[in-house]
Amino acid sequence: MEESPLHQFELQNWIPISLGGFDISINKAVVFMWIVVLVAAVLMVMAGSARKLVPGKLQSLAEMMVDFIRSMILDTMGKEGMRFFPLVATLFVFILFSNLIGLIPGSYTVTSQIIVTAVFSFVVYGLSLVMGFMLHGAKFLGILVPPGTPGWLVPLMIPIEIISQVARPVSLAVRLFANMTAGHVMLAVLFSLTIGGGLLVGWLPFAFTVAIYGLEFGIAFIQAYIFSILTCVYLGDAFHLHGHDEHAH
Amino acid sequence: MPQFESHFFSSLIFWEVISFGILLFILYKYAFPGILSVLEEREKKIKDSLDQAERHRADAESRLRDYEAKLSAAGKEAEGILAAAKERAQRLLDENEQRLTADAERIKGDATREIEQERRKALQDIRTQTTELALMVAEKVVQRSLTEADQRKFADEALEALSRSQQR
Repeated sequence: MEESPLHQFELQNWIPISLGGFDISINKAVVFMWIVVLVAAVLMVMAGSARKLVPGKLQSLAEMMVDFIRSMILDTMGKEGMRFFPLVATLFVFILFSNLIGLIPGSYTVTSQIIVTAVFSFVVYGLSLVMGFMLHGAKFLGILVPPGTPGWLVPLMIPIEIISQVARPVSLAVRLFANMTAGHVMLAVLFSLTIGGGLLVGWLPFAFTVAIYGLEFGIAFIQAYIFSILTCVYLGDAFHLHGHDEHAH
Repeated sequence: MPQFESHFFSSLIFWEVISFGILLFILYKYAFPGILSVLEEREKKIKDSLDQAERHRADAESRLRDYEAKLSAAGKEAEGILAAAKERAQRLLDENEQRLTADAERIKGDATREIEQERRKALQDIRTQTTELALMVAEKVVQRSLTEADQRKFADEALEALSRSQQR
């Protein structure tokens, strides 16, 4: 394989479209966004319309997921956080399906695009800021001074906390993007080694490919979970000022 | 890295927002309410079932206690009835015995009195007959030599002597 392991992330404009001066051309990532939406919507709507008291497999899975997200929200935000349930759950579903569908060979991992994860993270962080200022007004700036800070430390704490706040959306976006990218790069490298090594040595990187693939499958879930729980934590911080600061990173 | 090629950003942002919005709408409208309601329903059902089971258990327990109390009460009652019956039987027995004894006593007394009476009567009869006999005899002997009164007086004296000798 002479191809770069990063080749898989390259995009080409398949159908060039322009809207009001902006390029909104259809490329592989866009198509896979649609596939993610389609698959997720079909499965979730099917699960949601089953409504059986003793659930089948699909309904069971969907219920497990919904219950998981619900308890996550209740743990971090409490009962009033349930109004964010649709947002958090859709984020989880979208990211999870993107990660999983991206694992299918030949497909495209939507969440390996930094701009995709950045949009999610800035929307989430922006929403938490808006919520915070709406609920607490100017007092929300108190999030920059953790409770129990001695007065003489305040001038030092405020810049540190500003950095920590700015790091939130950045780390949220980079974490998901980097995990997905790294996983797929690793798979590509190992697989090119397999091809390049031939039967004699190739079995070793191939065994690693299988193992890493299994690991990537777990990471697909874990990253979706991390992204949504951090969403809950950030929104929860906006709700309860100085409530769960320790979860921030 | 290909991901930092910024000329794809606008289309990715645009389609991401659209896709995510559509997914959010579909899930919010058609998937989450169903799943959440089923979850809540099941939770409620489980809670209700547990509550009901707890209620039934408490019910059964109280019923058991009830029955046990009733059983022991019934046992006590039976015991009481038995004791009362025994006592009554004893009393009846005693009464019967007493009455029988009294009856026997009375019958004996009656018989004794009757016998005594008969004896007296017989004695009286004997006396009368003896007197008459004696009178007859005396009359035969004396043959109207004496007045009726004298005769009777003699006869009485004789009888007196006779009865005295008899009593002795």
